[in-house]
Amino acid sequence: MKRKTRGEVFFIAFSTVSMILFAIITLLPFMNVIAKSVSSEGAVLTGQVNFWPVGFQLGTFRYVLDTVEFTNGLKVSVIVTIVGTIGAMFLTTTVAYPLSKPTMVGRKFFLLMFVFVMLFSGGMVPNYMLYRSLGLTNTILALIFPGMCSVFNILLVKTFYEDLPESVEESSRIDGASNFRTLISVVIPMSMPVIATVGLFYAVGYWNSYFAGVLYITRPALKPLQQYLYELVQASQVSPDANTITTDMTQYMNTSPESVRAATIFLATAPILAVYPFLQRYFVKGINIGSVKG
Amino acid sequence: MAKRNEFPAPTADVTAACSVQGPKHHRRDRIGYIKRNYDLYLLLIPALLYILIFNYLPMAGITIAFKDYNIFGGANPIDAIWKSDWVGLKHFTKLFSSPDFARVFRNTLIISFYRLLFVFPLPILTAIMLNEIINVPFKRTIQTIIYLPHFLSWAVVSGIFLTLLGSTGLVNQFINSLGGETINFLSSKKWFRSVLIVTDAWKEVGWGSIIYLAAITAVDPQLYEAATIDGAGKIRQLVSVTMPAIAPTIIMMLILRVGRILDAGFEQIFVMYHSIVYEVADIIGTYVYREGLGRMNFSYGTAVGLFNSVVALVLVLSSNWLSKRATDKSIW
Repeated sequence: MKRKTRGEVFFIAFSTVSMILFAIITLLPFMNVIAKSVSSEGAVLTGQVNFWPVGFQLGTFRYVLDTVEFTNGLKVSVIVTIVGTIGAMFLTTTVAYPLSKPTMVGRKFFLLMFVFVMLFSGGMVPNYMLYRSLGLTNTILALIFPGMCSVFNILLVKTFYEDLPESVEESSRIDGASNFRTLISVVIPMSMPVIATVGLFYAVGYWNSYFAGVLYITRPALKPLQQYLYELVQASQVSPDANTITTDMTQYMNTSPESVRAATIFLATAPILAVYPFLQRYFVKGINIGSVKG
Repeated sequence: MAKRNEFPAPTADVTAACSVQGPKHHRRDRIGYIKRNYDLYLLLIPALLYILIFNYLPMAGITIAFKDYNIFGGANPIDAIWKSDWVGLKHFTKLFSSPDFARVFRNTLIISFYRLLFVFPLPILTAIMLNEIINVPFKRTIQTIIYLPHFLSWAVVSGIFLTLLGSTGLVNQFINSLGGETINFLSSKKWFRSVLIVTDAWKEVGWGSIIYLAAITAVDPQLYEAATIDGAGKIRQLVSVTMPAIAPTIIMMLILRVGRILDAGFEQIFVMYHSIVYEVADIIGTYVYREGLGRMNFSYGTAVGLFNSVVALVLVLSSNWLSKRATDKSIW
């Protein structure tokens, strides 16, 4: 092992320290929010809470989990995420197959149709009018249809299909399988890595989406969690102690609107925090498939 | 019984030729191909139907940018399109003479430019520094942490920073403890844009470094060894080996970013802004929302949106063309 020069040692040390700082800066806001969500009302209001709970209590979480807006939002978000992801995966994995066939007649035309959607859109107002004309506003479908067909994800899957070894599909064809059959029993099972990646992209997209709700949903029972959070944040921006929640807060001692907001933020993020460390590599894989293709 | 696929499987060079020129079929071959592979076309249908309804149909709705649209003027919103009167370029004339539009257009460019200046270089630096960390588990841990905020929604991120930057938040406590006055960051015209930039950086820099890190790890380690033997120090290696290796990626990302300059971060601004900071934070997207849907000026909102879409399309196409010329890389 060769010895490192002083410059090298300095450079490595500088990089390491910077990256540790970066990680700390990323984590501190989370810690602040978590600490505030489990601290007592007095401690939060007098600004004693930094990164560690002061006057520990779990009443805020009990309170948030009891509010109708939260439980409704959670239900809507879970349904939308599950149904939306399944639908989106169906659209994506099917259409990517013909588009990955270089010999397909009309492939360029269809590909162009999909790519054009990525580049140009009718805009917010015509989109809104479409949903309204179709009678989709204030239905759960208004949360599921937007984002159900991401051309970026289609292109990811298409690239993966293209890179599968030709011989496998060929042997399936020699066995007399139709294209449809080949896709279901050969191509899709071999494409599990990209399917996992794209499925995660869709699921996170659905879970995090608040704007479809803002556009199309006014009925309280249909608002997804992120829209509820958006309204909570908006209200507290106008007046910091605003309380938009209808559930009576007085029966839950020792909690403040700020703690409630913090706990809601934490709970809305919890599912992502829970699965993210285990699935991170799939996300990274996706971005790399996308970028390698020149 | 399964249908036999009689079309010969393409050999490697046929595939290569096709990807350049596209398949050349005679008319009869083409019909034969479609007949034999009809199921391939069936697979297109669900997604095709989706984009026809949800992407192409709204494009027809653009016509109301040239009309005086009244949503209640017909039996349903689509019927009302036919019944409303043509007004030509009226809404575009209004657009170009409106001081409000001038303001949002300027804000869009300024905020986008700030992002480019302050946020764009950070993932590159991050990737370079990450690459220096030798201990693999430690590096992985750092990566896991710094990629995380990318997966939070803007509603969550804005909630987090409201907690942090509010009048009783951590940052103001710190300022107060140093004897400074409380700053209301989110309602201050002076500070709001900085808040946008900082929160954007916090959320996206780690994730943005992945693409550069991939480019750096692809560099042949022998190049570094050769440079070391030639007596090149760390800085020299960085300038002469690493930078040239990732330059095409940087140029591509830069050009594509410039192509999206009219998108100043709608989802972020929409959650974070409010009427006090409209003057500095209102961008084209938020303006379309408030004018078009909030105040129900459907025609005017559509006209602003159309202007935005057309300029964005021209920018993306030309920047992609440039990227192709400059680096041989493009998004498709």
